[in-house]
Amino acid sequence: MIRKSSLALALALLGSTMAHAQTETAASTTASRAFTVTGNVPVICAGGALTGGDSTFALGVLVNTTTGLLRTDLAAPNKVLSGAFCSALSTISIAATRMTAQNVTAPAPSGFSTGVDFTATASGWTTTPASVNTAASTNPEATQSRATPFTGDITVGLSNFATTGGSTLRPVADTSYLGSVTVTLTAAN
Amino acid sequence: MERRALPSTRETGFRALARTLAGMAAVAGLAMGSAALAESNTASRTMAVSGSTPEICALQPGAVQTGSLVNMTGLDGDTLRVAQFADPTTLAVRAANATLSISAVCNFPHKVRVQSENNGMWPGDGRQALDAHGFTSAVPYQARVTWNGASNTLETDARVRHQVEDELSVNMPAAGSVELHVEIAPGASNSQANAPLLAGTYTDTLRIFLEPL
Repeated sequence: MIRKSSLALALALLGSTMAHAQTETAASTTASRAFTVTGNVPVICAGGALTGGDSTFALGVLVNTTTGLLRTDLAAPNKVLSGAFCSALSTISIAATRMTAQNVTAPAPSGFSTGVDFTATASGWTTTPASVNTAASTNPEATQSRATPFTGDITVGLSNFATTGGSTLRPVADTSYLGSVTVTLTAAN
Repeated sequence: MERRALPSTRETGFRALARTLAGMAAVAGLAMGSAALAESNTASRTMAVSGSTPEICALQPGAVQTGSLVNMTGLDGDTLRVAQFADPTTLAVRAANATLSISAVCNFPHKVRVQSENNGMWPGDGRQALDAHGFTSAVPYQARVTWNGASNTLETDARVRHQVEDELSVNMPAAGSVELHVEIAPGASNSQANAPLLAGTYTDTLRIFLEPL
């Protein structure tokens, strides 16, 4: 029968293959081949998600409306960078620019100023918070190092507001004073 | 014609495996490459710091400049009193003057407006104009304002009782002290110099405004 013939042929082919395998094992009792499985974790830092409202430290009215001098109770809620991480040892740096009048372009007349300085601090990443004062010519505390990978929250706060040029000066009227704070995480390669 | 030898089954299998691994590596490489684009060893966040300074003008209570009182008793609240208004013999107005310092600030370009409510010092009886020939029924005076290096003088003539004013523009913010010098000339009169004063209590209200241009 044709069907039986076909089956016999298939078995014959199978038998041949088995015989071939036996020939290989006869040369060595063990055959092995190693494949290397590799992967790497890149050096990564992520800044985390910003909480505490939007990304602006809104101070509102900067001056005492009776004296025209900078308010002594200026404050803004802290911002938190949640879930920031670096996969290797890292540094945290903070940089800031003073608040300056955006619409008044003329130099401030005697007794007045177009700037407001402040100190910005980033804490939670390193034992010593990174801090920068916009009035200072150098800020050695602005960069802090961490010897281990880390993940956690970074709290950014502002303090020590001061009229640029001295506390006896008054900020000129302007509907917009703007400055900035930048926090940078850098992992060591 | 040259025949190329067919690879053995095993060779074919390893090559296929190698190709598969290579393909996986390539896919992994692509994945890592895209990850490298999105992730970095540096992460940075910038936050704005904002505020505003409204337009402000402020005047503090005045104070008499030391040594500036001539025939004035000084400030009583906001009232500047003349010590001896009329010469007891001639009833002519006696000279008197004083300089007040008023701490002030305007943090934007502005003007100073000085206003006399009555155009001079008038008796409290409500009279409106000169009504007694040969007598002084109201007393003119002048008020000089000095502010931010400039000055302006409001001259009252006491001819007609009405509000008069003058102003001084200051095209920049200014802070410091407004100097207000009030001067009553000897013999001042709305009639003729040295005309005797009619009986009465003479007053005026002088106002200073710091305001937008």
